[in-house]
Amino acid sequence: MKILVLNCGSSSIKYQLFDMVDEKVLAKGIVEKIGLSGSFLKNERYDGDKVTLEGEVLDHQSGIEYIIGVLTSERRGCIKSVKEINAVGHRVVHGAERFKGSVRITDEVIAKMEECIDLAPLHNPPNLKGIYAVKELMPDIPQAGVFDTAFHQTMPPYAYMYAIPYSLYEKYKVRRYGFHGTSHRYVSNRAAEILGKDIKDLKLITCHLGNGASIAAIDGGKSVDTSMGLTPVEGLIMGTRCGDFDLGAFTYIIDKEEIDLDAANTLINKFSGMLGVSGISSDMRDIEKAASEGNERAALALEMYAYRVRKYIGAYAAAMNGVDAIIFTGGIGENDVETRGNICKNLGFIGAELDFPKHDGLRGKEAIISTESSKVKIMVIPTNEELVIARDTKEIIEKGVDVL
Amino acid sequence: MEVLEDYGLKKRNRTQDGLIKKIGIVGGGTMGQEISVTVSKAGMDVVIVDISEERLSIISQLISDLLDNMINRWGMTPGEKKSIMSRIRLTTDYTELKDSNIVIECINTEKTISNLEERKNVFRKVEQHVDDQTVIATNASTVLVADLAVVLKHPERAVGIHFLSPVHSVDIIELNKCVVTNKNTIDIINKFARMLKKEIINVTASPGNISTRLIIPLINEACELLMEGVGTVEDIDKTLMKGFGMQMGPFALADKIGLDKLLKWMEGLYDEFGDKKYKTSPIIKRLVRSQMYGRRVGEGFYKYENGRRISKPGSILNLGREDF
Repeated sequence: MKILVLNCGSSSIKYQLFDMVDEKVLAKGIVEKIGLSGSFLKNERYDGDKVTLEGEVLDHQSGIEYIIGVLTSERRGCIKSVKEINAVGHRVVHGAERFKGSVRITDEVIAKMEECIDLAPLHNPPNLKGIYAVKELMPDIPQAGVFDTAFHQTMPPYAYMYAIPYSLYEKYKVRRYGFHGTSHRYVSNRAAEILGKDIKDLKLITCHLGNGASIAAIDGGKSVDTSMGLTPVEGLIMGTRCGDFDLGAFTYIIDKEEIDLDAANTLINKFSGMLGVSGISSDMRDIEKAASEGNERAALALEMYAYRVRKYIGAYAAAMNGVDAIIFTGGIGENDVETRGNICKNLGFIGAELDFPKHDGLRGKEAIISTESSKVKIMVIPTNEELVIARDTKEIIEKGVDVL
Repeated sequence: MEVLEDYGLKKRNRTQDGLIKKIGIVGGGTMGQEISVTVSKAGMDVVIVDISEERLSIISQLISDLLDNMINRWGMTPGEKKSIMSRIRLTTDYTELKDSNIVIECINTEKTISNLEERKNVFRKVEQHVDDQTVIATNASTVLVADLAVVLKHPERAVGIHFLSPVHSVDIIELNKCVVTNKNTIDIINKFARMLKKEIINVTASPGNISTRLIIPLINEACELLMEGVGTVEDIDKTLMKGFGMQMGPFALADKIGLDKLLKWMEGLYDEFGDKKYKTSPIIKRLVRSQMYGRRVGEGFYKYENGRRISKPGSILNLGREDF
């Protein structure tokens, strides 16, 4: 069975074609700058063949047409015909309360997904465009949707409700949804496998630290809390997003700076976080370099980052009444040894001790990086959201079910 | 060379329904600059044509300042500024308008008389250098697009698209077509508006569209109130802002538009309709004669220091300056 996984953004489409017999990636790539000038498609085949093709990509539909065109081409392709693709799996950002698991895409599901646009006006419309395009181009091929929010739908109300008038929840469904669910789910399951335990018996804290960052408390395989909220701004400090922030201070700034809502949104989403504090960059590597050269604000930003993650680890250990393993994933979690080290400092009180020599050289590989005697295991597990989407899609198709 | 088109599933003619890629702007004044920034931000290439190298370097600096101001107001990031600037080309050469999907005339002259003739010249000149498919548009507020269409060999491509300042934050465009404007032209403008994420307000051929015809009598009436001594500049502005939720009062708005420009609009509408509600208020005439054009020059109904609006102390009979 071959499954095409699509992640459609506002002006890009990321894709991977899996052969599910051995979960091998036959080809992967990206179409960038859709609807803009200078658009191109980058494809990488399993055998290392790489190509970048420039040309006009008007919309998501023509982007997907080109992806299929490349995948089935003699020169760059890896399949003979589009008929070899058995199913298409889509990443969908916001599933609101309607979608608690992955689904087979039907007209009814599309209609429900359209109703979720309100909650993720930037992300859901391009996701839907990908679905419409596949429907148009390959009408007979089944499609599945895997939601970023679905995994967190197991949170109890006391964790997902905000302490604001209840009517706002009733009217607009304002509550915590959380994101990166596919990643938190993958690494928590993988952690249980590596530890050789049933996930039902584990209390896990998963730290997805990338450009966006979120942390989740996973008790018995179920997400019971997570740091991102209705939007991905809440929680941890990120590259350019502020994370947790006093709303009183926010309205104060809006008043003082005399800015409108758009600018206020840009302020907390694009000017804040590591970039805002350090004044240098949103990239950890640049900030670490500056800090090592004596830049005080860079050093402050790094301390704030690690402190915020550590604070959440403590909070989630309390939320679950204990923790068995702390897992790091995402670009920073997998590769940034310095930040990981800073976060794990002073976690001895909950029984988590880093094995510094093991942790030191470890980048982008699965490993346990805590000491033998550490009661709480500290682990690095590279995430693989595309694989989860492919697996869910396969399961839906094979089992002939509508919802997982 | 291997190109993406080689891998298309269907061969189709992309030129008709293709992307809008390049926009020409003739006249790099305030509106020309603001439109260029918004167009470039939406991912299209922009060519600004103006009259001299000296003007071009001023325009380039002003665009850079405009973007810096947006950055300082948290409206965009320095990275976005770089990519916006990289898509804007400035030139004195009309031949560079070739391949534009739309050319927008945005000229502004220092003279206080109507510049219809100059706009006609621009239309003629643009048509000499662009393809038959290119839409030729005017951003003029009080000129009838039909008067400009007549000078074209292909008048069906002429259309009025009126942006309102500040272009980046006002989400509407007034679309003013004339009898000969064809469907293809309107389709292209609709697509352009979608790319800019702006809504089209359809206006049936009328100089002044909706926006200018509404705002001119308001400003004139505010001047009447002032002259009669009914209220001060500040209080009249405050009444409309606090009382009716306007972002700016009529005097602050007049200063922002520029009183010289406003005077041209008023003369244009009065010429067209002969109705005294459009007749330029004597105060505006006096301010313009004294070169108090508004915010741009630092003084109009108010004074401006470092971008901040300050009340003028004197009576209106002395144009707000202190009596001695």
